[in-house]
Amino acid sequence: MHILIVEDDEVARDYLAKALREVGHTVDVAGDGLAGLHMASSISIDLAIVDRMLPKLDGLALVQSLRATGRKLPVLILSALGDVDDRITGLRAGGDDYLTKPYHVSELLARIDALARRGESGNAENSTKLKLADLELDRMTRRVTRNGKKIELTAREFQLLEFMMRHSGQVVTRTMLLEGVWDYHFDPQTNVIDVHISRLRQAIDKDFDKPLLHTVRGAGYSLREDE
Amino acid sequence: MSPDQRFLGILDTSPFRIAIVYSLVFACGAALLLGVVDFAVSQVVDRSTDNLIDAEVQGLREQVMVLSRSDFIELVEQRSQDQDVRGAVYLMVDPQLRPVAGNVPAWPKTDSDDGRWIQFKAAVPFGDETREHEIRARRFKLPGGYNMLVGHDVQERQDVKNLMMRGLILAVVLTLLLGLGGGFWMGRRILAQAGAISAVATQIMRGDLSQRLPVRNADDEINTLAREINTMLDRIEQLTLGMRTVLDSAAHDLRTPLNRLQATAEGAMSQVTPGSAERRVLERVTTEVDHMRSTLDALLRIALAETGTVAREPVDLSELVASMVELYAPVTEERGIELESAVAGGAQVQGSRQLLAQALANLLDNAIKFTPDGGHIRVLLTSRSAGPEVIVEDDGPGIPADKREIVLGRRVRLDEARNVPGSGLGLSLVAAVTKLHGARLTLDDAAPGLRVSLQF
Repeated sequence: MHILIVEDDEVARDYLAKALREVGHTVDVAGDGLAGLHMASSISIDLAIVDRMLPKLDGLALVQSLRATGRKLPVLILSALGDVDDRITGLRAGGDDYLTKPYHVSELLARIDALARRGESGNAENSTKLKLADLELDRMTRRVTRNGKKIELTAREFQLLEFMMRHSGQVVTRTMLLEGVWDYHFDPQTNVIDVHISRLRQAIDKDFDKPLLHTVRGAGYSLREDE
Repeated sequence: MSPDQRFLGILDTSPFRIAIVYSLVFACGAALLLGVVDFAVSQVVDRSTDNLIDAEVQGLREQVMVLSRSDFIELVEQRSQDQDVRGAVYLMVDPQLRPVAGNVPAWPKTDSDDGRWIQFKAAVPFGDETREHEIRARRFKLPGGYNMLVGHDVQERQDVKNLMMRGLILAVVLTLLLGLGGGFWMGRRILAQAGAISAVATQIMRGDLSQRLPVRNADDEINTLAREINTMLDRIEQLTLGMRTVLDSAAHDLRTPLNRLQATAEGAMSQVTPGSAERRVLERVTTEVDHMRSTLDALLRIALAETGTVAREPVDLSELVASMVELYAPVTEERGIELESAVAGGAQVQGSRQLLAQALANLLDNAIKFTPDGGHIRVLLTSRSAGPEVIVEDDGPGIPADKREIVLGRRVRLDEARNVPGSGLGLSLVAAVTKLHGARLTLDDAAPGLRVSLQF
């Protein structure tokens, strides 16, 4: 994937670029908002990571200008400001996701992966049936089966599984789950998400040979068919 | 507000009360003034009438000495018919009180006699008809047992008096009505202005600092006050925005180096072999960065809540509490803690959903941390008439009564809690968020344990 990083902090930018290249992305960098806007308008860029506070052109203004030209590429906003309101402002300006500094590279990688695939699997958003290996989920009847056998889930477990299935094959972090399933943006001190996941795992993997729900060490979870 | 309440509200306004007092004072003043005028006028008119009658009595007394009876009767008749003397009244009666001459039909039967003056009603010809008129008169004896009455028609004076009395009553009633109406009108205006002011004040308290009081193009007290309050609000807005800017700069200046540290450590980590000593050091660094980040997040959220500049929206508190209970339920089950909850539906508050969720999460995190395995946690949401109340209760060690105030301050961890991980900012954040929402936070003894109550 061709990723543009617009960030004025050289140290952070270089490490980020390096990390993205290591996982196989092509990376372009810009040090200020104007250069960033110019480069983001180029057709070859697939995704942009934009810092919120930039010289020459503010990060939010950059995203707004970009959206005004009709450019739809996914944008992840990085912010060193407070949070709560800033997140909403960032998303309203046209950002697709919002991450507060300092962040783990694994968190950022998981999020850009999700953003990139959101475009591809546009149909999955609307399709009523989600399927992974022998696991099937019907959004209309709210019925989950594995290998044809019905699996009983609570309403929240269903939501959690639906989210995981929409992101199947990707790494999903705890904060992504808390945001995506519960719509909360804070770090709980207790391992609440882990316990919910382990319950879901009990429900869908316990009686079957091949586990589908995997823990990705230091990052989060992934729902995938093991090779 | 219902029309009835609005009406009663107007009666309670100060202009209405002032108007009532003033119209009562004016009414009394008007009554007094008219009373004095009436008294003075009747004094003057009465005296001149009396003088007139006295002079007439004197004249007739002299005539009776020199004239024969028939001539005197002639004289009385003549004077009675005299059209030039308006209102003059005469009556001469024989010893049996039968009229002999004069223009009054009968001798008055009045007993009200102050010695000289009598006042009575008599039918007198008035143009083509006769009318009952008020007559003021004097009686005196004539030779031979005859009696004479000389008087004057005072009906006109009485009419004027009655007219004045009616005018007086009308004036008092009108003054009162005008006062009431004026007071009502002014009261409504004041209420409308006060209503506009309190609507703006509510919006400002909700965090919209750009709101200003409505100012009309006039120099009355309310407008002057509104202008001064607006100037004050300008200043508050500047200060708050200044605080917000300082907060943003501080956040930026702390997050940027932390981010570099994190990026550097993670970058270096990918270069070293997993499990090596260097790797462990780097992992330690990222763990510490995580701690610093969560402390910084908490501090920034507290500061943000305290500036009051957080955007507010309607928050379904019932949904929020229920979903937080649901979020934490598996963790408590894992620990063998019984999480009991009773959430009343339909509780709404104005505020920040995220900050409220964070505050509730902190309370639940705390409760779970301090409740022993197999203990109990209760989460209640009740709807009171004053507003909803959220209660989180555990049966952990609780907080000693003398330390409950202190724990709400910045970064307090009691000795008893030293071995439990956490930033120590949890309750401070709860306190700041509660204050932001205009709610009341109280810590109580749940006997045993801690009972935290948020009254919205």
